[in-house]
This record gives sequence, structure tokens and C-alpha cells, in this order.
Amino acid sequence: MAVVSLKGLTKVYEGSDEEAAKNITFRVEDGEFMVLLGPSGCGKSTILRMIAGLETITAGELSIDEVVVNNVPAKDRDIAMVFQSYALYPHMKVWDNLAFGLKRRGIPKEDIKRRVSEVAEILGLTPFLNRRPHALSGGQRQRVALGRAIVRNPKVFLFDEPLSNLDAALRVSTRNELVNLHHRLGATTIYVTHDQVEAMTMGSRICIINQGQVVQIGHPMEVYRKPANTFVAAFLGSPPMNLIPAKLDRGESERPRLRLGDQLITLPNSWDASLGGHKGDVIFGIRPEDLFLPGSEVPGTNIAQVDVDVNAVEPLGAETVFIFNLEGIEEKIRARADRFAEARRGDRVKLMLNLGAARLFDPGTTKVIPGDEKEQN
Amino acid sequence: MSALMRNWKHAVLMILLSVYTAFAAGPVFWVSMMSLRTTTEIAHNPYALPETFHFWKYSEAWFKSNYNIYFANSVEVVLSAVAIVTLIGGMAAHCFARYRFPLRRVLYFTIFSTIIFPPQITIIALFQILVEYGLYNTRVGLTLAYVAFQLPITVYILESFFARIPSDLYDAARMDGYSEWSIFWRVSMPVALPALSTAVIVNTILLWNEFLYAVVLITDDSKRTLPLGIQKFMGDRLEDIGMIATGLMIAIIPVVVIYIFFSEKLIQGMTAGAVK
Repeated sequence: MAVVSLKGLTKVYEGSDEEAAKNITFRVEDGEFMVLLGPSGCGKSTILRMIAGLETITAGELSIDEVVVNNVPAKDRDIAMVFQSYALYPHMKVWDNLAFGLKRRGIPKEDIKRRVSEVAEILGLTPFLNRRPHALSGGQRQRVALGRAIVRNPKVFLFDEPLSNLDAALRVSTRNELVNLHHRLGATTIYVTHDQVEAMTMGSRICIINQGQVVQIGHPMEVYRKPANTFVAAFLGSPPMNLIPAKLDRGESERPRLRLGDQLITLPNSWDASLGGHKGDVIFGIRPEDLFLPGSEVPGTNIAQVDVDVNAVEPLGAETVFIFNLEGIEEKIRARADRFAEARRGDRVKLMLNLGAARLFDPGTTKVIPGDEKEQN
Repeated sequence: MSALMRNWKHAVLMILLSVYTAFAAGPVFWVSMMSLRTTTEIAHNPYALPETFHFWKYSEAWFKSNYNIYFANSVEVVLSAVAIVTLIGGMAAHCFARYRFPLRRVLYFTIFSTIIFPPQITIIALFQILVEYGLYNTRVGLTLAYVAFQLPITVYILESFFARIPSDLYDAARMDGYSEWSIFWRVSMPVALPALSTAVIVNTILLWNEFLYAVVLITDDSKRTLPLGIQKFMGDRLEDIGMIATGLMIAIIPVVVIYIFFSEKLIQGMTAGAVK
């Protein structure tokens, strides 16, 4: 087990002026499951490959257990990696695929046999040990790739979108298996994905990457509930957070008010101090599950109401997504309600907003404007 | 489309294929028949089937006309050249496909561009070089000439295959602790087996039948390869057609055998990656 620390890690590919990864700094604690989450091409795989030793580091410092490994070759870092394509050796049987890394390390044959058998047993691969990869299903191949990493008992596990080639049902079950395996092995793990569900369900912490930079790091629910900027707000969640252009001003009693289209809502007392003298254009962010139709049970006390028109209703079975028009605003507002909620297209309803869960963002910087004093720390 | 139409199309296709097969296999069949007839019989009626099968001609060609020596020379030169060209070509192709280094494209283009020169252009220079290095009229010299001659096409065949091997496979081997040298031997070469088979078959067939370099660079009868042996039956005034046919069949048989056993690999190598 190990602690992986990245300090200002930067990567510029040869022949390119752009930084594929910019000043990446974070620390993965011993036994932690860190998920690097971001859209395709954001640089998350580049970061993982630098940790693996498959890419050179242009600037910054990478250390494993407080030892700088910038110039240590991949083979000597004691790291195992599971690739998106599984990267199984097509000319070798499953047994040889699992044993390949051990043979190189001069481990006695008896030990290799024991370790391969153990891992095959754990992953349910024993009946397939004499098969070649092309004779396996996608899920079995994925398990072989996983087994090849586990059998080496490395300090750190790296996963590069290992579930993206599986079908939806298999992805869910394998996700669960991976989490269980992590609990069982307690290994330090860095997992790259663009799938927010994987990130939310698997990670001890999530590191959101965008355009080669770390945008936010935190526990999954913390990142979800308190996005640091509009990118995170829009990237996490399905449907994503509603981001509504608004104007912040002061009412007669100097209380901060928010103008949403033609309607005014007064912000909670707890926001007063932190908003300071902030005025003018803002982006009002609120998650679809923090919007409530009339008659719903609303949590908390900081509730505001706005009149909206129902634009569309999307019944999804377990829940229903309502799409609303708010007068004076182009953006559609999405609310998630239970399957019993009733409203029809064209209805005008009083939508309740749980302001305790809302966020304000600066439209210039896209960063959050702390709404609650506690968040300023 | 009606069943009748389908049957017609099928029949037309079969006729075309039969005509093509007859066109391609006819000369081989004709030579094989002539190889079992004497020159006198052939002169009397060139296209007739053998009345008596003169199998003794094979024995005479093999022992009395030194075909056993030519055959051994061909085997030695061709197998050595093919082994070397496959090894060096494999290494070069691996590097071109896998590594980015200065002048990579220039180097690849330079090697590959030599394909456009017909052998007649280089033969005099090659002759001079081999004489200077004491390699003229030696099997080693001929082998090296063959290696140089076949290297570009070998690199071309193998590079295009190596380039299609997913880089994740190499990365996985690196993570498993293997050096670049080990990765070449343990991953690249085994994975590229269909392409290697293609290169081996193509090179073997071309070099087995190669005549120009052999006739210019070898003079001793004891060092001649099979194509030169066949030439021995061609006199200034009289050509022993019967024995030429027998010699041709001795030269052809190994090629046919190799093709029969490796044709599946050849097709795999040529079509690899065409279908996902």
C-alpha cells in the first residue's frame, strides 16, 4: 500500500505548445480510492499515464511513499494498471496472461502457480485458464485484466476507464465487484472515468479534471452538492444542475434578492454576510431534485416560490422529470419529482425552490459565490 | 432476385473461376506432364499426355545433373536470407511502428524507395562491392544480396502490421516489468505471427525463384542455386526441354508445399485488420 503525491505535475507533448495536464496537485492517501473524472480529452488519462510511468513528466514532482519517482521507469514503480482495452496478450492463454508479470520478477514457479490459482479463484476465472483471450466474453476479459493487476500485489492500482467497453448490465455488476475488491484488498487506487455514476458510486474522493486542470477535489456527495464552478455543476448529475442567469440586488431592508426573469426571490438570512456587497449578474444554480411541485414534502425552511409553465413531462418510470419555462429566461428549468407527481404540459404551477441547496456562481469567473458563511473557510 | 437468376449468376461465376484456374494452373500441369516425358517424345507432340511415366528423369536430374547440390545451395541461401531478413525486417518494422525518433519518416521513405529501382540498375554496383569485400562467388555474398534486396518489402509488410498492434499491449508489458527488447520478442513477434508468415512465404517464393543476382554473383557449379541448374539444360543449339521441365518441377514442388501449408497464415496476414 502506498501514498501517491502529485505536486504541480505538468505534461506538454512533443510538438505541441498546449499543456495536456497543467499544474496537477493532489495526494492519494494509503488505501484510498481516488477517481479522476472529466470529459473525454480533458487530460485525466495523461495524468494516470504519468503516474504509471508511461509518459514522461514535463514539470512537477510525482512521489510514491514520499520517494520521488519522476525518473523511475514504469517497471520499477511497482504499479499495476488495468487498461480500457484490457490489453490482454492475444497469443497467451489466460494462465500465461496472469503469470506474465510474475515471471519477469523472478518469482519461483511454485509461488507463481499458487498466486495465479488464488486470483483465478477470486475472480471466477479457474475454468478459463486454458483459454485464449479471443475465446472469452467481454466481462471475462475484463476480469483477466483485473487479475493480471491483482496477482502482482502492487503498491498502487491504476484503472483507465476499465468498464467502458462493457454493456450496461455488466458494467453495474463489475462496478460492484470492483468496489468489493477494493474493500477486500485495501489497495491505493486511482481510477479514471468519464462516467459520473462510476465516480459517484466507487470513489472515496473524486478529482474533477477539465482542460488539463484540477477543478475540484472532494468526497462524491460534497462535490455533487457543492460544485466549485459551473463546469462541475453542469458535468455532475443527470439531469445536471439548473444554471439560471439571475440578477442579485438589495431590497428595501438591504436583504439580498435574486431576480429570476420577472420574478423576485429573497435569499436566506444565512447568505447575508458571505455575499457581502456582491451585486449584479450571477448564475443561480439549483439541482433538479431541489425543486418541488406544489403538494410535495419540502425539506428545510429556506424555501422560495416561482411561477413556471410546464413545457414537457418526461416520465422515466421510477421518477418523472418536468421541464419548465420561466418567464423572461431562455434556459429551461428541470425538476425531478417522484412518479406520482402530477402536472401537464401547459399548466402554470408554483415551483418551490430549496434555497438551502442552491448555489450562486460568478458569470465572469464561473466560480461559486459562497452563499453560506461556513463555506467561506 | 429469383432462384433462377441466382443460379445463373452462380454458374457464370463458376465458369469465370474455372477459366481463370485453367489459365493459371494449365502451364504448371503442362510442365509437370513434360517432366515425365523425354525430349524426343515432347518434340513429337508437345501437348500429349505421357504414354510412359519416366520417373527416372527425376533421379537423373537429382544425382547426375547435380540437382541435389543446387537444391541444398538454394535451401541454404534462401533459408539464411529469409531468416535474416525476417529478423532485421521485424526489428526495423517494430521501431518504425512503435517509436518516434528524428528522421523516422525520411529513413522509412529511403528504405522503401529502393523498391522502385529494378535489380538491373544495382547489379553492377553490387557486383563491384561483393568483389571488393571478397564475397563474390560465395553463398554468403548471394545471401547478403538477397537480404538487401528483400528488406524494404519486408519492412513494409511488417510495419503496417506492427502499427496496428494496440499500443496498450506494449504499455501493459512495460507495466509488467519487461524491457523494450523483451517486449519485441515476447509481445511484438508472437502477435505479428500472421504478418511474419506472410513475409516468410513471400520472401521464400521470390528468392527461391531468383535468377538474376544468382547468375551474376555465382560462377562455381558447386555454389549454384536451382534456377541456375535449370539453365544448364539450355544449350546454344539444343535445349533439353524434357530435363528442363523435370528441373522446373523439382524447383516448384517445395514452393507449392510451403504455400499449401502456410496459405491460411498468408491470407490472415494480408487481410489482418481488414475486418474488426
